[in-house]
Amino acid sequence: MPPTSASEPHVLDRPWRIWASIVVFGIVLSGVILGVLIIPVIQGRSEGIDAYTAICRALGILPGSPAKQQVSDRTPPTPVSQVVWTPDVLQILADARPERGRAKVLEVCVACHGEQGVSVAPEYPHLAGQSGAAIYKQLSDYRTGSRTHESMTIIAKDLDEPTLADVAAYYAAQPKRNPNPATLAESPPAIVRLVELGDPSRNIPPCAACHRPGSGGPIETPILSEQGQDYIVLQLKMYASGERRNDVYGRMRAIASRLTQTEINGLAAYYRAGFR
Amino acid sequence: MRNVERLCLAHFWVAFAAFLAAAVLGTWQMWVRSPLGANVGTPGQYFLSVTAHGVSMAYVLTIFFIMGFGYFVAVTALGRPLPGKLWAWIAFWIAIIGVVMALVPILMGQASVLYTFYPPLTASPWFYIGLVFIVAGSWIWCVLMLVAMRQWKRDNPGRPVPLAMFATVANSVLWLWTTVGVAIELVFQVIPASLGFGQTIDAGLARTLFSWTLHAIVYFWLIPAYIAFYTMVPRAAGGRLYSDTMGRFTFILFLVYSLPVGMHHLLMDPEHGNGWKFIQVLLTAFVSVPTLLTIFTVTASLEIAGRLRGGRGVFGWITALPWQRPTVLAAGLAFVMLGFGGFGGIINMGYGVNAMVHNTSWVTAHFHLIFGGSVVIMYFAIAYEIWPSLTGHDHASSAPLRMQLWLWFLGMMVMTLPWHWLGLQGQWRRIANFNYADPIISGWGPLVIVSLGGGLVLLASALLFVRNLVILHGGPLPALQRPLYALAVHPPQRVPAALNGFGLWNVLVLILMLLAYGYPIAQFVITPSPGAMVHRVH
Repeated sequence: MPPTSASEPHVLDRPWRIWASIVVFGIVLSGVILGVLIIPVIQGRSEGIDAYTAICRALGILPGSPAKQQVSDRTPPTPVSQVVWTPDVLQILADARPERGRAKVLEVCVACHGEQGVSVAPEYPHLAGQSGAAIYKQLSDYRTGSRTHESMTIIAKDLDEPTLADVAAYYAAQPKRNPNPATLAESPPAIVRLVELGDPSRNIPPCAACHRPGSGGPIETPILSEQGQDYIVLQLKMYASGERRNDVYGRMRAIASRLTQTEINGLAAYYRAGFR
Repeated sequence: MRNVERLCLAHFWVAFAAFLAAAVLGTWQMWVRSPLGANVGTPGQYFLSVTAHGVSMAYVLTIFFIMGFGYFVAVTALGRPLPGKLWAWIAFWIAIIGVVMALVPILMGQASVLYTFYPPLTASPWFYIGLVFIVAGSWIWCVLMLVAMRQWKRDNPGRPVPLAMFATVANSVLWLWTTVGVAIELVFQVIPASLGFGQTIDAGLARTLFSWTLHAIVYFWLIPAYIAFYTMVPRAAGGRLYSDTMGRFTFILFLVYSLPVGMHHLLMDPEHGNGWKFIQVLLTAFVSVPTLLTIFTVTASLEIAGRLRGGRGVFGWITALPWQRPTVLAAGLAFVMLGFGGFGGIINMGYGVNAMVHNTSWVTAHFHLIFGGSVVIMYFAIAYEIWPSLTGHDHASSAPLRMQLWLWFLGMMVMTLPWHWLGLQGQWRRIANFNYADPIISGWGPLVIVSLGGGLVLLASALLFVRNLVILHGGPLPALQRPLYALAVHPPQRVPAALNGFGLWNVLVLILMLLAYGYPIAQFVITPSPGAMVHRVH
């Protein structure tokens, strides 16, 4: 500490400023020399990367690590679904108009799925209150052949992209049905546990992790509450057998193939009702 | 005290209420992750709980405690009334509104994104806006601290600012710098995304901005503990502070080196070049310097106290120290936890070893030991030290206080040492439950149960802590006036301007931040990335 004397304070303070700056910048400079020049060049040399590339990679101007050759994977992808959630597709969904969708619904869809998304027969899914992204994904998959159905494939092929989105938006905007007291029976605890916690010992994740509204699962995940029991049983069986295969990463095929027949029936009964 | 008791107590009680609630949640989380609590609760409830625990501990406990303590120091260390007391109350209520706004969506399950947000996950906008309110309240506190110091310096030209206040202002300056990163992230990226503007968010940029905040915020939490080390502990031990200058240096180094180092939280992230990571890791190494300086200075101060009390020989002064005093005991226990946690932190900092422990329980163990352990135990010590002057009542016996501190120490060690070990074995963090039927994972079970035991001890300690404070509000013993802050062995008469203010250091921080974060942030503007799809959990 400087002695108190007649010296002017600002004269005493100057060395502090100078030395503090020298030390702080000296440390940064040594970091730059080591981290951006010496280490990348030496590490790169042993991997056959030239000095310029190594330095650019250390700075993040070129992609990749300065210490490793860039691995390139040229395996051609074979997607199970052609739907990619690009910003453009999401914008189409955001721009969809339910009123335009209604016209197409009254013209085509109403025969099976009903005007308000309540289907007329057990083998057709209810669409009321389903998410727009979920309906769009399935219609799109029918159109591209990722999913097939004797009538849906033909219908979807006739629709253009914005119309798909409009129809999806129309059904998404329909009110959810009120849970039917008759269907709100107690589910067996084993089924409730499967829904809430899954079964880690069989690598089955909880259904609710994706299929509950707001759960944070993939956006194309359908909401299952108040869905027809027969429809769910049929879909789970088709996933289990591999007959239906438009699930990204094969998630549902993997899960459904591990479920027993009793569990499939129990889950379908659970989801026939609303959420508790 | 000059009429800020109610202000300080209001802040402290909000902080400690959040602390107690978060302690309960933390214990519940440990239970459901253990083999004893398998099949209890859903993953949704678990992540809701983790979010509430993190937000309460990391934002509410710390910010309210630090604000309250800052007002206390400004009045007691400077010996003059608090300027702008009305503003202090306004700041308090703004922050309270923020807490309510953030808490409601959390409890509704619409903000289970944890306290570090993790874009492209987006929660209810109310959650983020509430957090912005809390930070805005704390910014008013920062300004009040700066004004208090400036007014004191104006009236006391040439005199050194008392160390406790110098450190408090260092913390407020640090906090202003710290919060810029997260404020930019929230205001320009996350809140617009959660409101539905646009379908994508640049997660790399968001993570980079958060890393700016994420390391310095830890030092914001830590500095009150260091203030207690330098000023309250030597006084409580009956000695003097070995070096006032060393204290000033320490707080300045925290300001300079806690900011341009956040990228060591992104070592496994692909969006930055290795060179930048190296530079920031090198700077990170210098954050250990102020901690080592502190351990040296505080140990030396305690040695002075021990020898004044008749301690002899190389270690005799240690046993001569008044360990029955809660503040001295807390400092000793804090040092032990700081030792373990600090060495763990040095491991996290290294690129290669970090790759091994990345996203494992090791990391959780590290920050619980450093923050939950050494920092929070000093928050307890500070509360015990200043509660008599706030309430006017003194503790009848220090035995329950010592008991509480010991329980906290033992609980924290028993909880975190198994976590370190489990982390080395690969146990993940941020996981709602484990499949103990798996042969590898089943081996973790016993250690997880041991750490749950530690968690239960911590919960008991948290309850005892609140009880120890509550009874003082109606205690029979009037509080004695006593000095709070230690004198230095050589009390400074004049210090260089560089050690009495922050002008020079702010310039250096600015340049360091431009060097360390300039290009890493600019690259997102130069070559925009495709962006990640916004993933709404609300």
